[in-house]
Amino acid sequence: MKINLEILDSSYIYDQVQIQDLNTKELVPKMVTRRRLTRAAKIALYLASEVNFEDGRIVYGNSYAELESTSKILNSINNQEQISPTVFQNSVNNTAVSYLSMVTSNKNEIMTISSGDNTSLNILKAGAIKALDKDTLLLLVTETINIEKIEELNNCIEYLECGVALKVRLTTEDKTIDYMDIKNKENFPLSVMHMLQIAQNIDNNTSNIIEVNL
Amino acid sequence: MNTKNKVFITATSSVSCASDNCNELFSNICEGNSGIKNNDKYSYESCPAIGKIKSEKSFYENLILQCQNILDNSTLDTFENTLLVIGSSVGGMSITENDYFKNGDYKDINTSTHNINSIADFIKKEFDFYDDITFSTACTSSANAIGYAHEVLQKGIYKNVLVVGVDSLCKTTVGGFLSLGVLSSNPCKPFDVNRDGMNVSEAIACLLIETKSQENSVEICGVGYSSDAYHMTQPHPDGSKTAMQNALKCANIEFDKIDYINAHGTGTIANDESEANSICEVFTNKPYVSSTKSITGHTLGAAGAIEAIISCKVLQNQMVPKNTFLNEKENEELNLSQETIKTDVNYVLSNSFAFGGNNCSLIFKKVMDL
Repeated sequence: MKINLEILDSSYIYDQVQIQDLNTKELVPKMVTRRRLTRAAKIALYLASEVNFEDGRIVYGNSYAELESTSKILNSINNQEQISPTVFQNSVNNTAVSYLSMVTSNKNEIMTISSGDNTSLNILKAGAIKALDKDTLLLLVTETINIEKIEELNNCIEYLECGVALKVRLTTEDKTIDYMDIKNKENFPLSVMHMLQIAQNIDNNTSNIIEVNL
Repeated sequence: MNTKNKVFITATSSVSCASDNCNELFSNICEGNSGIKNNDKYSYESCPAIGKIKSEKSFYENLILQCQNILDNSTLDTFENTLLVIGSSVGGMSITENDYFKNGDYKDINTSTHNINSIADFIKKEFDFYDDITFSTACTSSANAIGYAHEVLQKGIYKNVLVVGVDSLCKTTVGGFLSLGVLSSNPCKPFDVNRDGMNVSEAIACLLIETKSQENSVEICGVGYSSDAYHMTQPHPDGSKTAMQNALKCANIEFDKIDYINAHGTGTIANDESEANSICEVFTNKPYVSSTKSITGHTLGAAGAIEAIISCKVLQNQMVPKNTFLNEKENEELNLSQETIKTDVNYVLSNSFAFGGNNCSLIFKKVMDL
């Protein structure tokens, strides 16, 4: 089965170490909330703002989850120290979109997928199935693996922080963008590649349509 | 797309601290035989009451066994036309912990066994599937997995779906909930005025979901989602209320059709008060309500799936399980069953709520005899 989606808006951002300007202070005026945000939450907030998405269903995903929180928890246990409650609550895979829902008061269905290297491909699949209900959805993927001593674990991913947002809706128009043949010359996390390839091939002068095969 | 198939649970299999099979699990719930025990293996500072699977097999051997049980008890020969949908909140964290604590560095950690997706990868080594997807939304993970299975089958996208709700005990979750001050040192007593917290547990719960009913099938007739948009750990009653109302709307039934609610009922002060208030607001017909977590513990990402199995057993046995360990109700408006009751049950609603204010309510319906 095939479902075609129109990309209404898109945004992507990445850095080899840490993305610098995410406009967080303006997007999250409340300092008490801002201080609790994870890196992935800041990226999610930035990308959702860039594609002008505030209310509606979201399909989000990551492969490596909130690695900074996870590493802090492991370190605390190893040192027989109490785990920080804030760090623990920020360790779940749906942390970033939970903060996004709080900041934007979005009370809709929000899913989080974690399918390894196929994460962004599965976000597209789930998003396409949900788009059959004819609403506009935000598809969002982030990876934030910039943690201390990540080199002990990582020897292939060059961009340690990245994220992609696609605002989509159902269409019957023919596809204009291919994304299945991934060209990852710059060594991004494979988990973001399908969506990143789409975002990088957007042509602002025409309709941008993808075909999702299920 | 106008396709609206009916969706049925046709086979189930589970292992938890309460039992290694679904029938005994339900008997233990009805009789009040809790699987929760004190255990100091997962915390250096405390000996909380938690739910560990009693088995000579490893957790991963049990994972394969549960999937094989489904195949053996279904009309399928293989899973080759089946979508595998995993719901898990910790994935392979227990393996990562063992690797990390050897030397206190990441050198021995294998990302392919750490990630949430490692559960699907492990199952796919034994069985071929049409495709797979993993949901990780903390304690709603497998409820959302069931919701997705309902959606893709109702829309006619896939032929059948195997949902696997799975989470194993690890120091991260036990220590994490300890840090939040919500772990009890006794089997939990949800909705009791003197409740003192929850029990972290592990479980594997599998459900085969199809568009054709078999003998003893249960229909999934409604799924409701919502987000609190409020706080990472503190629930807002409007969120759970909206999820239940959305599930009723999806099932196209009025609130007074619901005979029994399997509550999220963790035993924490915040959850139970909030959930009780929202149930009372939506269900003025006062259906029976119980939490089965005093027997199974809170199995986190597996909770939605194991409680879906319990909901199936309620409908198949026409029996409402009691609230074990409930002595003094905090909310007198809630119709909390204090004894297991044999009664007519046609519709069951099961609640799952999670960190980040992620909510999912599922409605199950008794299938009339074929």
